[in-house]
Amino acid sequence: MAVALAAFLCFASGFALVSLFSSGTVPDASAVLFNLTLSAGFGLGIFSLAFFLARIFAISNIIAVDAAVLVCLIAALLLARNASASTNLLMFSPGADEQWPRWLRRILVAATSLALCGALYAAIMQALAHPQGGGWDAFAIWNLHARFLFLAGSHWRDGFSSLIPWSHPDYPLLVPAAIANFWTFIGHDDPHVPAAVGLLLTFAAVGLLFSSLSMLRGRVAAMLASLTLLATPFFIEQGTWQYADIPLAFFFLATIALLAVSDEQSLARGSSSSGFLALAGITAGFAGWTKNEGVLFVCGIILARQIVFLRAGRKRSEINPSFHRHSSAFLLGCAPVILLIIYCKHRLAPPGDLFTSPASMLHRLLEPFRFEIVVKAFLRRFFSFGGWLGIPGTVLLLAFYFIVGRGQRRGLPAGHRASILALFLTFIGYFCVYLITPYDLFWHLRFSLDRLFLQLWPSTVFLFFLLITPQKLPLSSNVSR
Amino acid sequence: MIGTLILVVCCLLSTERLIIHAPRPGRLRTPDLITLRSDQRFAQLKAVLPTTGVLGYVEAPGTVNAAHYYLAQYALAPLVVDYSPQHALVVGNFFADSPPDLSPNLLLIKDFGDGVLLLANKDVR
Repeated sequence: MAVALAAFLCFASGFALVSLFSSGTVPDASAVLFNLTLSAGFGLGIFSLAFFLARIFAISNIIAVDAAVLVCLIAALLLARNASASTNLLMFSPGADEQWPRWLRRILVAATSLALCGALYAAIMQALAHPQGGGWDAFAIWNLHARFLFLAGSHWRDGFSSLIPWSHPDYPLLVPAAIANFWTFIGHDDPHVPAAVGLLLTFAAVGLLFSSLSMLRGRVAAMLASLTLLATPFFIEQGTWQYADIPLAFFFLATIALLAVSDEQSLARGSSSSGFLALAGITAGFAGWTKNEGVLFVCGIILARQIVFLRAGRKRSEINPSFHRHSSAFLLGCAPVILLIIYCKHRLAPPGDLFTSPASMLHRLLEPFRFEIVVKAFLRRFFSFGGWLGIPGTVLLLAFYFIVGRGQRRGLPAGHRASILALFLTFIGYFCVYLITPYDLFWHLRFSLDRLFLQLWPSTVFLFFLLITPQKLPLSSNVSR
Repeated sequence: MIGTLILVVCCLLSTERLIIHAPRPGRLRTPDLITLRSDQRFAQLKAVLPTTGVLGYVEAPGTVNAAHYYLAQYALAPLVVDYSPQHALVVGNFFADSPPDLSPNLLLIKDFGDGVLLLANKDVR
C-alpha cells in the first residue's frame, strides 16, 4: 500500500509537470507514450528534489511535502489550462511509413516485440539474481548515499564526509534522494527500490526513444531505433546494476528528444511555444543532478545552441525570430536545479577528485603519450561497445548510414545540428577528463569508458534515426482543444 | 531494404546473446545477496553503537580488501567508517576463525562473532 502511494505520488507529480508545459496534448498513442515515459523521469526528479529540499529545511514529514508538491502542480496545471486555449503539440502525418513495404513493417513489428521480450526477460532475471546491484558502485556510492539521506535524519550531511574514500561525496543526488524518498514511505531501506528505479528508467528510455521518433519520423524509424537500443546487451545489463549511468542516459535522451520536438514544431509552424523548451531545460537540469557528467552536458547544450543558432541567424528563414525568448525558456527550466547543484558543490560536498590541482592538470594535459593512450582506448571501445554479438552497434549504425542513410542526405535544421554538437562537446569533455585524471589512466579507462559511451548511446541512436529518416509532414498547423 | 534487414538480423542475434547470457531460472534459488549478508554480519554491532558519528576501521594485516571496507561502511551507515584506527571506537573486520594479534593500543570491547569486533583505541579519547 505504501509503495503504491509512493509510486502514485511520484508518477502523478511527473505527469502533472509534463502536462503543465505540454498542455492540450492530442490523444495520439505515440504522444501518450511520450508523456508517460517522460512522466516517469520527471516524477523521480521531483521526488528527489522534494526529499532533498525537505532535508535542507529540516522538514521531517516527507510524505506531506510530496503531497503538497503534487497539489501545487495540479493547481498550476488547472490555472494554466484555464488561461490557455490552444494546444502546443503539432500532429504529423502518419503517411511517412507508407514508403516501406508492408512485409518489412511486419518483420519490424515482430523483431521489435521479440527484442523487447528478450530484454525484459534478461533484465528481470539479472535483477532477481543480483537484487542488490551488479557492482561495487551500487553499495559503495549510490545506495550508500541513499542510506545516509534516509537513515541519518538530521545528520544527513554525514554522507558528504570526506572520511569515506571513494564514495564520491561530490556526486549529485537525484538517484539516492529519490530512492530515500521511496524508503520513507516503506519505512525501511528496501533493496528492491533501487532495482525498480533502474529497471523503470531503462525501459522508460526505450519507450521515450520509440514514442518521440514515432511522432517525428514514423513507426518504422521508431522501431528500428528501439530495436537497436533493446539489442544492446550492455544497456540492458547496466539498467539492473543500480548505477546512475542509465538514469543519466535517460535524461540526456529526454533533453535531446524534447528539443527535437520543439524545433520541428517550430520549423513546421514558424512559431513554437516555450513549453517543450522549458521541459528540456528541466531534464537537462535533472541530468546535472544525476551525475557530474550531466553538468558537462548542460554546458554543451547551452553552448551548442548559442553557436549554431547565432551562426544560422544569418539565414533568417532557418531561425525562429523568437529564439532568444525560447533560449530563456530552456535556461529558466534548468536554472533551479543548477542553482541547487551549485549550492551542494559549494556548501555541502568536499571538492571532487578530478579537479584538485590546476598545475598538475595542465602538466598531464600536455603529455602527448596520455593523448595517444586515450585516443587508442576510445577507438578500441568504439569498435567493441555494447557487448553485441559480432558487429557492435556503433559499427552497425555506421554501415547502415552508408547503405541506407546517404541517399536521404539533406540540410539539417539548426536545432538538430545544435543537438549533435552538444553531444560532441560532451564527448570531447569526457576525452579531456581522461587526459587530466589524477588516477592511473589505464585503470580509469578500463572501469569507466564503457559507461561513458553508454550515457550517450540512446541520444546518439535517437539523432541517427531522426536525421536519416525523411521528415513527416505536418497534419495541421493549429490543433485546438 | 537490404541494409534494414541486415540491421534487424544483427539486432536479433544480439538479443539472442542477451537471453543466453541472462541468469538461468535455477540460479535464482541462490541470489547474490552480498550486501544483505554483510548487513546481517554487522547487525549486532550496529545495535550497540550510537546512531551517528565516526568509527575507526581495521582489518587483518595483509588481507586488506576494499570491498570488505565498503560493505562494512554500507552496513554501518549512517555511521561514518574511517579507514583508520585513530578513533575512540574502532570496528575490527576479520575473516579468520580467531582474531589476529591486535595493535597494543587497541583493546577488545566485544567480539560479535563471524570476525566482527568492537575495539577501543586507548590512545584516542
